[in-house]
Amino acid sequence: MVDLRDLEGSIVEIYNQHYLDVYRFLVCFSGNQNDAEDLTQEVFIRVLKSLPNFKTDSNFKTWIFSIAKHVALDHYRKKKFSTIFKEGFFSKLESKEKKPDEEYEKTELEHYVHEAISKLKPNHRAAVILRGINEFSVKETAEILQCSEAKVKVDYHRALKDLKRKLDLDGKEVLSNAK
Amino acid sequence: MQNEKEIINMIKDSHPQNPKKEFIISTENLLRQKARSMRKTTRVRKLTVATSGIFLFALAFSWLFLLNGKETVMNLTNTIGAEGIPSLALDEKEPLVFIYQTHNVEAYYPELQGDEDRVPFSDTTNVTLVGKELSNALEERNISAIHDDTDYSKILSERGLTFNDAYTVSGEVLQKALTEHDSIEVVLDIHRESNKKDDSTTTIAGTEYAKIWMYVSKTADNYEINKAFALKLHDKLEDLYPGLSFGVIERGVNPRNTYNQDLQDNSVLVSIGGMENTFEETFRTADALAEAIKEVLSK
Repeated sequence: MVDLRDLEGSIVEIYNQHYLDVYRFLVCFSGNQNDAEDLTQEVFIRVLKSLPNFKTDSNFKTWIFSIAKHVALDHYRKKKFSTIFKEGFFSKLESKEKKPDEEYEKTELEHYVHEAISKLKPNHRAAVILRGINEFSVKETAEILQCSEAKVKVDYHRALKDLKRKLDLDGKEVLSNAK
Repeated sequence: MQNEKEIINMIKDSHPQNPKKEFIISTENLLRQKARSMRKTTRVRKLTVATSGIFLFALAFSWLFLLNGKETVMNLTNTIGAEGIPSLALDEKEPLVFIYQTHNVEAYYPELQGDEDRVPFSDTTNVTLVGKELSNALEERNISAIHDDTDYSKILSERGLTFNDAYTVSGEVLQKALTEHDSIEVVLDIHRESNKKDDSTTTIAGTEYAKIWMYVSKTADNYEINKAFALKLHDKLEDLYPGLSFGVIERGVNPRNTYNQDLQDNSVLVSIGGMENTFEETFRTADALAEAIKEVLSK
């Protein structure tokens, strides 16, 4: 599949085969479609640049996702840093300018789910999405996150338990309202 | 109490599971472009190695002569002049400029017979001829160009598409050309402006020229590069033919349109003349533009 003499053909094939999975991972991780699209683009640009270094004996899909994980974590750190500023004195200035009806309207359910996911530790978050949404095996997830299979199992279990508790407590009436 | 499956489904349902269509296409184009430029870099590297090889050889050769004779200093400078400084890619046969006309039916009143109340469009006597003239003028200056004379208006009606889809269709042709010729470094989409004669004509040294407008899309991700290139062309035109170029205009935000300028760096949409200009005036301007392109590329 990777033909270094035809980089363009190779990257287009790789992109078309994998963009949807990568995007779905990133949209659940970031909780925002625009961010997820930007990050997806970033992932495939990095894939293209690292293509000559890819070792043919490793699993291609997990390799792409290990790049996606790095991109997602970089984004998470940047965002965390910028919210420190935003929550300071800038937030007051901003709130006056932005009218609530200009913002993307989330349903209440979406709001609760996003809130719950955003409170998870980044590694727990990645584990839940990779296992649950992208349906990677424990072994593959361990490869992507570069940890032991045992840690994947533990992280996944804890993250789910965490989500369950949050969505159960806060979400019950919301859920019934949403239907 | 929700089970595992329910929670996973909840996560799925609360995130849009598909990216936007335009994102999918523009990302593919971006990747193509990046892949192409990576290949170009390696080619340039190889070329540099080859050139320095020739240069060293020439140096050694001259040195041998230097030990034997005295006219050899001349020889050395000659060799450097010929081999040491490659005169860009201008002398190459590989095409450097791609010229097409997305709105190919845009035409000029004086060249058509008939109704002056209608905006001039023509299937045959149209802006394609101005693009062709530009291409010829470049070839005369040893700049290899490809002129695309596809009838996009015909394709649109065959496929049941509207004028708004013209860039999608012309983008397909451009993309094919760029894949087949990775030597292309400049892409010009030639259009006709809708201004009246007074606003679209300028007189330089007693001769009438059709004016030029250059457009770059702000939503193309290589916008800065395209803009810088368009500004260079504008400045050069100001040098050579003061008042001929109206300047560089930024567009493409609302409605969002990259004008396919994201496919290749140094892409500019160029309008030559308005509805009331003649081919004599627009061809003259095409020649002037070719002159400016040559000057900019040889720097």
